[in-house]
Amino acid sequence: MSWISLDKAKKLEEQFAYAKVGNSNEYVYVEVPKENLIEFLTFLKESPDYQFKMFIDLTIVDHDVKSDPRFQGVIILFSPEFKERIIVKTWATNEELPTLTTLWSGAKWAEREAYDMFGIRFEGHENLVRMFMWETYPYYPLRKDFPLKGYEEVELPSLNEVERGDQLEGMFNYSRMHTAIPTLEDLEITQKARMPKKSSQIVLNWGPLHPGTHGTIWFLFDLDGEYVQQCDIIIGQLHRGVEKIAENIGYQQFIPYTDRMDYIAAINENHAYVIAAEKLMGIYDRVPEKAKWIRTMMAELSRINSHLLWLGTYALDLGALTMFLYTFREREKIMDIYEGITGARFTINYFRIGGVFADLPYGALDAIEAFIKDFPQRINDYERLLTRNRIWLSRNKDVCIITEEDVYDYGLTGAVARASGVPYDLRKIDKYDAYGEVEFDVPVGEKGDSYDRYLVRMEEMRQSARIVQQCIERLRKFSKNDPYFFQPEDPKKLKISIDGRGMKLPEGEVYASTDNPRGELGFYIFNKKASIKPYRVRIRSGAFYNLQVFTKAIIGRPIADAITLLSTLDPVVGETDR
Amino acid sequence: MSVKKVGVKPQTLIEKIFFLDFMKGLSTTIKHLFKRTITVTFPYEVLQPTIRFRGVHGLRNVDGTESDDFMSWVKKLKIKPPEMGETRCIACKFCQAACPVPELFTIKAEKLNVPEDHPHHGLKVLAVFDMDLSKCMFCGLCTQACPTDCIIHTDIYDLSAYTRRNWVLNKEMLSQIADDFVSRRRDEKFDEKSKWREDQPLWPQDEEDLRVRAKLWDGNIPKLGPNYFDQQEK
Repeated sequence: MSWISLDKAKKLEEQFAYAKVGNSNEYVYVEVPKENLIEFLTFLKESPDYQFKMFIDLTIVDHDVKSDPRFQGVIILFSPEFKERIIVKTWATNEELPTLTTLWSGAKWAEREAYDMFGIRFEGHENLVRMFMWETYPYYPLRKDFPLKGYEEVELPSLNEVERGDQLEGMFNYSRMHTAIPTLEDLEITQKARMPKKSSQIVLNWGPLHPGTHGTIWFLFDLDGEYVQQCDIIIGQLHRGVEKIAENIGYQQFIPYTDRMDYIAAINENHAYVIAAEKLMGIYDRVPEKAKWIRTMMAELSRINSHLLWLGTYALDLGALTMFLYTFREREKIMDIYEGITGARFTINYFRIGGVFADLPYGALDAIEAFIKDFPQRINDYERLLTRNRIWLSRNKDVCIITEEDVYDYGLTGAVARASGVPYDLRKIDKYDAYGEVEFDVPVGEKGDSYDRYLVRMEEMRQSARIVQQCIERLRKFSKNDPYFFQPEDPKKLKISIDGRGMKLPEGEVYASTDNPRGELGFYIFNKKASIKPYRVRIRSGAFYNLQVFTKAIIGRPIADAITLLSTLDPVVGETDR
Repeated sequence: MSVKKVGVKPQTLIEKIFFLDFMKGLSTTIKHLFKRTITVTFPYEVLQPTIRFRGVHGLRNVDGTESDDFMSWVKKLKIKPPEMGETRCIACKFCQAACPVPELFTIKAEKLNVPEDHPHHGLKVLAVFDMDLSKCMFCGLCTQACPTDCIIHTDIYDLSAYTRRNWVLNKEMLSQIADDFVSRRRDEKFDEKSKWREDQPLWPQDEEDLRVRAKLWDGNIPKLGPNYFDQQEK
């Protein structure tokens, strides 16, 4: 496992009198007081024995209105040297915390999110404004005293039912009162707050609805001629409060909501969540082998699917329309196979805590095998078209270089990190599900420019095809009677069902993550007591952190490179906004 | 950890002068020019959804293929024993409990208004079963929770409506949808106890459908065989 060992953490306790070490569900956390937080983190980052120099996540847990202190900060760090992770916790007394941006620039957005959702102020943060909501929004939605439905205070008559007015009955009667929505003035205030100091004359707005942004992202470019001097991004147009929903719903019932986060790779989102929940439940090691292999295979197919969409739209953005048609052809095959196996093409909801909901249908492996046999040839076709094409080269080579330092500083993961030469791949580090038993290489780039990110993703597709091939071979050795869903020895003690009714998860906390096509997707589940609903679910989104580096990598580049950079970072708005 | 460095050699002079990179690219596109079309001409050719497809819901009626414990569920919930052609729903609300958006269901059962000496005295029947499909995610959890295999997903996917109220389906409409689906595709999906058949194929195996589906695979659609070593060849 990729967590720091308890013995090593105990040494920290000896060194710092104020640090308290604890562990839960195979991971180790250290609790330090707020005053010593920066000193402690600086030590962790710089000491040669620890070297926790990669920032993974920062979040807040609200311990209910009555408890004092109420909010607790949770910081997750990774040490690339020792391949270990650690959690540092601290109480945010007076709803304040010191800023971490002096140590890791990547904390900038995470802190803004914590401020937006919980109202925690970070002392020393350069521009602490809201992350997802607009600037004049008065509430902090993830606090426990904020109702799930929000405060309905704006009247918005429904256009659809306007002829009948309020005469409708029962389910047809939609309330005229809605939760707050931003007005144009609100948006203007928000825009000004995001970029308080203009350095040049033109601020270019790109988005929120632009085909090149691949979703609803709103970019602000401060331009000097054609070159970007300053950049900020307004996201949140697709914010649905998935973390709040998770706190108010059963464990299996939350899986369909994860589908709708990163909708391009829905299966990978399911995967991260079920693994986290299984670890909290303590059944992760006892999940049937067959289910694990099926999950690995489906997740890798999903990665191919996601990268195909990325390649098609990326080439389309840079002017190569043909590519889009070629990749969608292969994508269609994968979706067809998905439809046969799970019943849905896009928002799949196939995995369950404890396995998968149904066995593979007759002939599924044959269809996947036929696809995988044919697929490497297709990649060669794509590469023949693009890789050495001189227009492609000049638009990608040496464009928006992301260095190794940036990767650690901003907590970049996935293909973006690997293209910069950091072999950070959770499939190798954590070896979740069947990844420990399959052979594959981690593609790594040299420079970290857009061209490397392109090459890494192309190679990743080849490696995924390799993994799927191995999964098929292994799955063929199973019997049709092998279980695909976890069966507890004593059903009375441990209730677990495919539909999720009456499922209770024990007290405790867990952080588990998987390697999603867009980077590390982590779920931090915190349970105060055993219950049918989680107390707090934090989703560490890879796309969110990867998008953050955009604001740095674009500086000094011409505006045309924004499209290349955004495409190679490959964020999905459903996941950045959650 | 096995790490693979990616990288491509820079363009050579010969490549640059003779535009070899463009030639190669063009050869790919020209190759594709002579391939068969893969698109389905939709309204003229309709592809049947797969067997497990999660489309619009239906409420199945009693037709003699209930599971063995059906009557015990009916007794447990004090429902009037349904006759042939009546709904299987026993108003247990398990579907609502398993639903990620529980407010989309409105389920009500009411007591039968019969004299005391009637055998059905004190028993209930399903009165209301409304589903607001505009809120539905089609995740399939309700069908997995249903103890009597009543609520099912059919293969209907065109859900467009002019007003939102047309998305709310009541129990008569749901029954009708299920009856229609069962008459078309029951044997493909369910066994004689209304459970999912073990040997559901990945795709429907009728010839017209295979012909259309094969377009995507260049006319060379993979032949489906057993997955596991002890599975029977069909």
